[in-house]
Amino acid sequence: MENFEDSIREVAEKLLRDKKVDLIIGYEQGTLPLRTTPCFVEKLEDVKKLVWNASCDANLSKYVVGKKEKVGVVAKGCDARLIAVCAVENQIPRENVVVIGVPCQGVIDRKKIEAKLEGKEVLEAVVKDEQIKVEGEGFEVVLPKKDFLCDSCHTCRHRNPPIYDVLIGEKLPQSTDKNEFAEVSSLESKSTEERWEHFKEELSTCIRCYACRNVCPLCYCKMCFVDQSMPTWFGKTNDLSDTMIYHIVRAFHVAGRCVDCGACTRACPMAINLRELVKKTEKIMKERYNYEAGLGLEEVPPLGEFKMEDSQEFIK
Amino acid sequence: MKWKTIEKRNFSALVEELAKENEVIGPLKEKNTVTSVRITSENEVCLDFWNTKKPPKEVFFPQTETLFTYRTSKNDAEIIESPAIRKKMVLVGVRPCDSRSLVLLDKFLSSGEHKDVYYLEKRKNATIVGLACNHPLSTCFCTSLGGSPSGKEGMDLLLQDINDKYLIQTVTEKGEKLLEKISWLKDAKKADIEKGKKLSSDAEAAVRSKVSLSDVSEKLDKMFDDPFWDQICQKCLGCGVCTFLCPTCCCFDVLEEGEERVRIWDSCQFLCFALQGSGHNPRPSGKERMRQRIMHKFNYFVKNYGKSFCVGCGRCVQECPVNLDIRDVVKTISARKVE
Amino acid sequence: MKNAEEKWEPKILAFLCNWCSYAGADLAGISRIQYPPNIRVVRVPCSGRVNPYYIIKALQRGWDGVLVSGCHPGDCHYISGNLVARRRFAVLKDLLEYFGIEPERVNFSWVSAAEGEKFANVVTDVVKEVKALGPAKRLVKR
Ligand code: SF4
Ligand code: SF4
Ligand code: SF4
Ligand code: SF4
Ligand code: SF4
Repeated sequence: MENFEDSIREVAEKLLRDKKVDLIIGYEQGTLPLRTTPCFVEKLEDVKKLVWNASCDANLSKYVVGKKEKVGVVAKGCDARLIAVCAVENQIPRENVVVIGVPCQGVIDRKKIEAKLEGKEVLEAVVKDEQIKVEGEGFEVVLPKKDFLCDSCHTCRHRNPPIYDVLIGEKLPQSTDKNEFAEVSSLESKSTEERWEHFKEELSTCIRCYACRNVCPLCYCKMCFVDQSMPTWFGKTNDLSDTMIYHIVRAFHVAGRCVDCGACTRACPMAINLRELVKKTEKIMKERYNYEAGLGLEEVPPLGEFKMEDSQEFIK
Repeated sequence: MKWKTIEKRNFSALVEELAKENEVIGPLKEKNTVTSVRITSENEVCLDFWNTKKPPKEVFFPQTETLFTYRTSKNDAEIIESPAIRKKMVLVGVRPCDSRSLVLLDKFLSSGEHKDVYYLEKRKNATIVGLACNHPLSTCFCTSLGGSPSGKEGMDLLLQDINDKYLIQTVTEKGEKLLEKISWLKDAKKADIEKGKKLSSDAEAAVRSKVSLSDVSEKLDKMFDDPFWDQICQKCLGCGVCTFLCPTCCCFDVLEEGEERVRIWDSCQFLCFALQGSGHNPRPSGKERMRQRIMHKFNYFVKNYGKSFCVGCGRCVQECPVNLDIRDVVKTISARKVE
Repeated sequence: MKNAEEKWEPKILAFLCNWCSYAGADLAGISRIQYPPNIRVVRVPCSGRVNPYYIIKALQRGWDGVLVSGCHPGDCHYISGNLVARRRFAVLKDLLEYFGIEPERVNFSWVSAAEGEKFANVVTDVVKEVKALGPAKRLVKR
């Protein structure tokens, strides 16, 4: 990992020096344990701020959308896939971006560590060799990293960025026997009634802060449907019906585009499991149209095309 | 000032007693978070927590609130006011920073010509039972803002966990009255009070996160056009996390919901917040919006009310999805050279 | 109460495309084919014009069911409007069901201008199914 950090800095420095880019978007150390924060480097002397570790969880492709200048961006597998999706959707001119691809071993889910510690605050954390050592007032525990990764990372099948201009390190072997749709399938096996109750409970704590939307590179609409007031489509209150609809429509809008980067789930301050909402759209796309988003630049978004023989068992 | 104690195991009996004449609202553990909710016979207050995920402002300034309803006919319109909420409320387990936030909100929402009657009505009927912090978090910086982990500002009673029991301190007459009715509370022993004092001073020292605000407001006076805003807003997502979870932020939007006029939480960080009917947006980018948030908290409010509009609760620090730490922002401002 | 429940009749909002299904409905009328009077029709130029918002909004407003009907694949007046819509509807329908909205409330059909009989059958079916479910509650606002 430390090697990765050095390589990232090297690449960033070269890109800036050779004037290939005006800006590098990467990660720097955050202000809290197990946190990094997005870092925007324009000057050579700031390159040393860049870090790489298992807490580099922000989805930096978000910041590439709409940038006018030439940027170099550090991208994990999922981030690179989103750059591909946004490029296909004409939101990112591919030639303006230098993708610094990083084969990714997964990022840590702080909420899982918090839950494990049952109310003890982490004051310091060091991640080394697949282990997370966390310390706080009067305790020190070592946790196996693999148990504290984000759910998305657990079942990720695209650790290596499918598109990149520079690759840091070497590609990782690509295998996982985990079923990425296990959660979705288990919900599907329930009755509609049970599912309604489940989502009702899950979403009842939503405060409509839109962090889940704003963190997602795919939500680049100038005016989101929930903000529209002429006409007002749906209410902005935290009434259950309004909240549910916000989430249904948001999931619908990312269908065929979402790559399960997990950013929305991580961003939610209310610990709502947004993954089980958006993951369903991925499953639909795969089952109906055999489509997986963000694997290349030549793809046609599935909701932007059709085939005569598309499934229509639901049509009377 | 009176000092009482109550055994921890009797606390639910106290809540029950209070619930006879009041609506009791207290922290409750749900899923992985602690939120303040109405306490009924089916749930039990949890006083073993860091702080509630959402601040108590919600009780007085709910996220969605119907201001009034109306009926329109061909030539006429009739307004039906929402009934004022007169029920007496007791908020239990309010942390000192949050209780201070209510004092600031009181000022903000009651000064000037237009008072926020919806907030003030509910506020008037509330008694605040605070809970001192024995273990401040690394993100707590209340002491930098004039608060303290055992601060009493805004409280009627203050509870303190002294291991086996809670020490209760009366702060206002209202608080004293509340206790009068509960005859079985024991008077505190001298040792209990001493223990409480010791815990308070330890807690005060345990607040390690410090920011210096001494010159921030003045600096901000000269920083409206500073390029600094372009930098700090870069990573901000413009979400509502920091403002919705902030105990003092209280911006709102007013909507029509059928024949109801409703107000909902809004945030200065949202794109549409300052958007005008004409399509013009005086705060078109993250830069202006971030500046507004910081200016309001550390400059405008200071000018109008003599204090910062932040109580250092640390919620925005913990929950910002991109770790944009307000303490860092303040530190950068105070380190900045302005002429 | 029982009585009121028995008397309850579902309200179904139907979006019919101008070229096929609306004409199909017309034909059903002209041919005096009987079908339940529970639908209210909105004529749209094409099933592809039906924004998913319309469907969701109808559910929020308290319609007990929604029917969207267009031309058969290959017959669209605009050549492919219904084919693009078909994918959209498939995803929307799957998603709504996943969120726990009863699938019977959201219906799609292809009805040509010549299928008056089919139109009547579709409406009869939809009304029957929604009736069995009872009044909509889940997404309805207040
Ligand atoms: S939720 Fe939909 S409308 Fe809103 S920003 Fe995302 S894609 Fe756009
Ligand atoms: S919806 Fe969530 S998981 Fe999917 S791409 Fe957007 S942020 Fe990532
Ligand atoms: S981030 Fe969480 S609380 Fe905020 S709108 Fe999304 S689901 Fe709701
Ligand atoms: S929580 Fe963070 S990202 Fe969201 S608006 Fe506040 S500072 Fe910006
Ligand atoms: S600005 Fe942040 S630290 Fe200050 S009161 Fe608000 S949430 Fe708490």
